[in-house]
Amino acid sequence: MSKEETFKELADAVISCKKEAVDAAVEKARSEGIEPAEIIEKGLAAGMNEVGILFERGKLFLPHVMLAAGAMESGVSILEADMPTDAASKKLGVIVNGTVEGDVHDIGKSIVSTMLQSAGFEVHDIGRDVPLQDFIDKIKETNADMVGLSALMTTTLPGQKEVIEMLKEQGLRDKVKVMVGGAPATENWANKIGADCYAENASEAVTKAKELLV
Amino acid sequence: MTTEYTTRMGDGQRILMTREQILADLKEGMADAADLGEIPDLSEDELDKLVDIIAMPARMVGVEPGKEVPVTHDIGTIRIDGDQGNSGVGIPSSRLVGVMMHERAFGADTMELGHIDYSYKPVKPVISNEQQTMEVCQQNTIIPLLYGAMPNLGLYYTPDGPFQNPGDLMKAFKIDEARASIEGAAKHATRDITWIMKKMMSSGTDGINFDTVGAAGDGDMYASLHAIEALRKEFPHIYIEAGMAGELTLGLHGDLQYDGKVLAGMWPHQQAPVVAKAGANIFGPVVNTNTSRSAAWNLGRAVTFVKAAVKASSIPCHVNMGMGVGGIPMFETPTIDAVSRASKAMVEVAGVDGI
Ligand code: B12
Repeated sequence: MSKEETFKELADAVISCKKEAVDAAVEKARSEGIEPAEIIEKGLAAGMNEVGILFERGKLFLPHVMLAAGAMESGVSILEADMPTDAASKKLGVIVNGTVEGDVHDIGKSIVSTMLQSAGFEVHDIGRDVPLQDFIDKIKETNADMVGLSALMTTTLPGQKEVIEMLKEQGLRDKVKVMVGGAPATENWANKIGADCYAENASEAVTKAKELLV
Repeated sequence: MTTEYTTRMGDGQRILMTREQILADLKEGMADAADLGEIPDLSEDELDKLVDIIAMPARMVGVEPGKEVPVTHDIGTIRIDGDQGNSGVGIPSSRLVGVMMHERAFGADTMELGHIDYSYKPVKPVISNEQQTMEVCQQNTIIPLLYGAMPNLGLYYTPDGPFQNPGDLMKAFKIDEARASIEGAAKHATRDITWIMKKMMSSGTDGINFDTVGAAGDGDMYASLHAIEALRKEFPHIYIEAGMAGELTLGLHGDLQYDGKVLAGMWPHQQAPVVAKAGANIFGPVVNTNTSRSAAWNLGRAVTFVKAAVKASSIPCHVNMGMGVGGIPMFETPTIDAVSRASKAMVEVAGVDGI
């Protein structure tokens, strides 16, 4: 089976909203020796995007999207085992990552966390719908070098800006790099709110984090 | 100078458009329906006819002689004394007077008796009152008089009913529980509607109107279809009308099926066959109005959807025409120019059997 066919199979499994189908497709892709990052980005995430389109067109509904999301999470968790972080080696940097308050979308954010971790960063994923103050607290607690802020809705995007303001207020802004992401975020938005970088996807997030921290 | 014609926006605002602009908007609305429903476009002739209808000089238009269709009214019994909240005109009167006015003064072809809450569930405690009113109305009229209300599955969820609100459960990522809740509510609704109609039939009711089927999503439609099926079995000659709540059956559950077909995501032309299969006599397709588009855009879209539904339906289609549906602007008292044009278009282009 060609790689493209495998990616299609992975995407179709997510679209089918069935956990078993996704797990099976992931296992198969693994056995074909495809990189976990590729399985996620070109297969599973592509399928999730299609789910979004079908949702907008009234072909799939909220329960389906939730099931697809659950199925995708399950697939990603299988792959996490393949992306071991070398605990012994020196960490590239400490990153706090989370989805801002009011927003429960965390699939993309979790993928970013996983990829950053497997690239050698120490990642503290503080979850979804995170009260903005919690980002600050966690940054202080872990002495983080960078914070990742995910927002998937236009309505929660301003949360990213607020965290930056809060960092300034507490005199932390110079010590911590800010990376923003999520579908409605853009390079322009990142510049406008004074973030250090924006990344469109998880692999770009790794590249940008390395540029800033290593 | 190009001639401009007075027409409307979807919110009722008066605007001026040229024939070219009207045609362009009709085509755009049509394309939207054809794309969403995966249904055929209208023909060039049909589009020309729609342009003609919209551009007619008279303020009010009507169908060509010989093309008249029956007109029935939902909730009409309380439209006389109801206030604006239920689209009434606030004239003190009784429901009997309302029915009689529609029959004798307004020329309605069939009528419906409904109560002020207009959902089935709250009819249960006042069933005797409803039976008595039906009897009195039947004694004073000759038109077919149905009993009607909304299946309104929402009333079966907390805090109004015994089942946990599926929206709340869904938010807590409890998908299976949410689905079980919808299925439970649907069973109760089917049981209630069937019980109410057995009572109403014993008081001389001619039939039932399921108004706003699917308002609470696919579970609402599922409950209605099963109630239709049960009533058809119990009363082989009962007249059953099933009118939809909106153009698309929303999938709150997502997997409910009837006759082997998934209800979520159905457009009017897909709803018609399942409604017929359940045993209804009349299907009432609905197409929603977009308030920020022109009447032409909305009409092109609505006629495309309804024409496909009429074609797919084995039972007569009585299209829902009122504020905010069927290409009519969303406005408490929709203007007669828009109502009469949209109605003419539905009859002469979409081919509906009634309104
Ligand atoms: C799955 C999904 C859900 C799932 C989420 C499950 C979960 N555990 O995450 C569920 C069903 C719960 C859900 C709920 C809702 N959703 Co939703 N959902 C989606 C959907 C279909 C896909 C999102 C997704 O996971 N994509 C796949 C992942 C891999 O991509 P991603 O998230 O974009 O992440 C990538 C990049 O953005 C980037 N990235 C992400 N985060 C970060 C962070 C950093 C630091 C960096 C550098 C990069 C980065 O890298 C990731 C990997 O490549 C989108 C539509 C879409 N196509 O985006 C709607 C969408 C985001 N949802 C939407 C809405 C409206 C809602 C609800 C309000 C629906 C409702 N009516 O209840 C609720 C939200 C409740 C709330 N308070 O948050 C809207 C938002 C509209 C808007 N205003 O912007 C969308 C756009 C759909 C739509 N058009 O209506 N949703």
